[in-house]
Amino acid sequence: MSETGFFTDTTLCIGCKACEVACKQWNELPSDGFAFTGESYDNTSQLSGTTWRHVAFVEQVAIEPAAPSPIVEKWLMMSDVCKHCTNAGCQEACPTGAIVKNEFGNVYVQPDVCNGCGYCVVSCPFGVIDLIDPIDDERKFSVATLSESRRDANQTAIQKSGGVAGKCTLCYDRQKIGETPACAKACPTESIQFGVLDELRERAAERVASLAERGVDAHLYGADDVGGGIGSLNAFFLLTDRPEVYNLPVEPVLPSTRQPAGYTAAAGAAIALALAGWAIFRSR
Amino acid sequence: MNPTYYDRPVLKAPHWGWNVVTYLFLGGITGGLGIVAALADPKTPSGRRLRKTARIASLVVATANPPILISHLGRPERFLHMLRTFKPGSPMSLGVWGLVAYSTAAAASIMIEDDRLTALQAILGAYLAGYTGVLLSATAVPLWAAGKAHIPAACVCSGVASACALASAISSLTGNAEAVGKLERLEQVATAGEAVILIHFNASGGPRVRRFVGRVAAPVALSLVAGLVHVPERHRRLRTLLASALTLTAGYLFRNALIEVGKRSTTDPQAGFRQPR
Repeated sequence: MSETGFFTDTTLCIGCKACEVACKQWNELPSDGFAFTGESYDNTSQLSGTTWRHVAFVEQVAIEPAAPSPIVEKWLMMSDVCKHCTNAGCQEACPTGAIVKNEFGNVYVQPDVCNGCGYCVVSCPFGVIDLIDPIDDERKFSVATLSESRRDANQTAIQKSGGVAGKCTLCYDRQKIGETPACAKACPTESIQFGVLDELRERAAERVASLAERGVDAHLYGADDVGGGIGSLNAFFLLTDRPEVYNLPVEPVLPSTRQPAGYTAAAGAAIALALAGWAIFRSR
Repeated sequence: MNPTYYDRPVLKAPHWGWNVVTYLFLGGITGGLGIVAALADPKTPSGRRLRKTARIASLVVATANPPILISHLGRPERFLHMLRTFKPGSPMSLGVWGLVAYSTAAAASIMIEDDRLTALQAILGAYLAGYTGVLLSATAVPLWAAGKAHIPAACVCSGVASACALASAISSLTGNAEAVGKLERLEQVATAGEAVILIHFNASGGPRVRRFVGRVAAPVALSLVAGLVHVPERHRRLRTLLASALTLTAGYLFRNALIEVGKRSTTDPQAGFRQPR
């Protein structure tokens, strides 16, 4: 079967957050609390174990001293998601084999196998995957003024299996029955496009060319190899500014590529100490 | 300066706390004791006693490791899931199997005197002391990634130094003075090695590396100095115990600083944008 993925075209995003809501509803993900950040319209802030789509808002203001108020020059919005890397740091690090590549070529966490060691969290070069707090985390329920009994009834499957790692499944369950992932389905502007990777890449290249004709300087992030041993991303993006502006790493690195250097250094130190120890303990 | 997204970090911080720090610390001692057991000369009475001391201590510490390891899991009852698969590419998976193999070898070597078994235990011990460093450096955490060679090498040195410290304290209390002298010398060499690695790490890294080295510099220097101070013969035991305590404390603080400064390093968005190769 050919691999599937997301093409997120940020030039089409209108910041409606329908993807965030659709994702939470379909996957029965709990609320992450309620706070106003003052960071444009972004009150979600980041992807987490229980937030698998996150719409970033960047207001780029042109400072015109003569004008009565600063003028918004460009307003960028991007729906961020797990990148579903070709070589995924989380999957490589996972000691239980809970994180796998499924038949759609997507990186999937099996919650019943995961033991919540947290090693995937530090092994993701994009800071996507995180641990889901156990169910007794009051923060999850503090939004709604639910009674004790209602609270229990409102616990979802994910909440009950808290303590494990969570991230976008690329709606594995929906794909299995031939449905489009919830976020792509709900997106009103086709900013989030789901499909077979080859087709998506073709479409994305055409989009970049057509934007260039209209004088918009756009580029793709993750359609090709992002470097650092990661390879291409099954969830890639069309951006109109530098990756950092959207909180994406410019030079991500697959953490496991540092292992040879580490093991070599450790072996070198061990051999040196063994020789010194031999001289100390075995000299007559 | 590169633009950031409201100064939000790119990377996620480790969820690890005291139990992982303790595990990394004890793992180093366990492995180091395996090396000490192999180094002890079986042709001398003092060497034979040291070998026994190191083997028993190593098995005791090795046995304490799994409960600590299990306690840090989000779902502790699923510890055995780590044993359903073998992934040599994952330092944590390989490490768990390394711990299992080491503990088996440690238990066997107490019962069976065999040179090959002793050598195997020493090799597995070196792995155990070093893999904890690789486990950290093979992540996206900026401080750990910056020390891809320094941290594993320093973990081996610290593990051997701590093992010598523990073995010399026990030997001193059980009256094996000959072994104490040798152990203290190796402890000095290992601590000096650790100091050299840290100095090099400090010189090669940025401000967060310097913050980390700054936190471990005093304990490491103190344990190094404690072993060099000359004391009258009647105070030898006191000095041994004091030096051992300082070395063990330095070993624990070294791991603690790795985790704590590592956590802080993830909050810097610039470090997440360009990750060390």
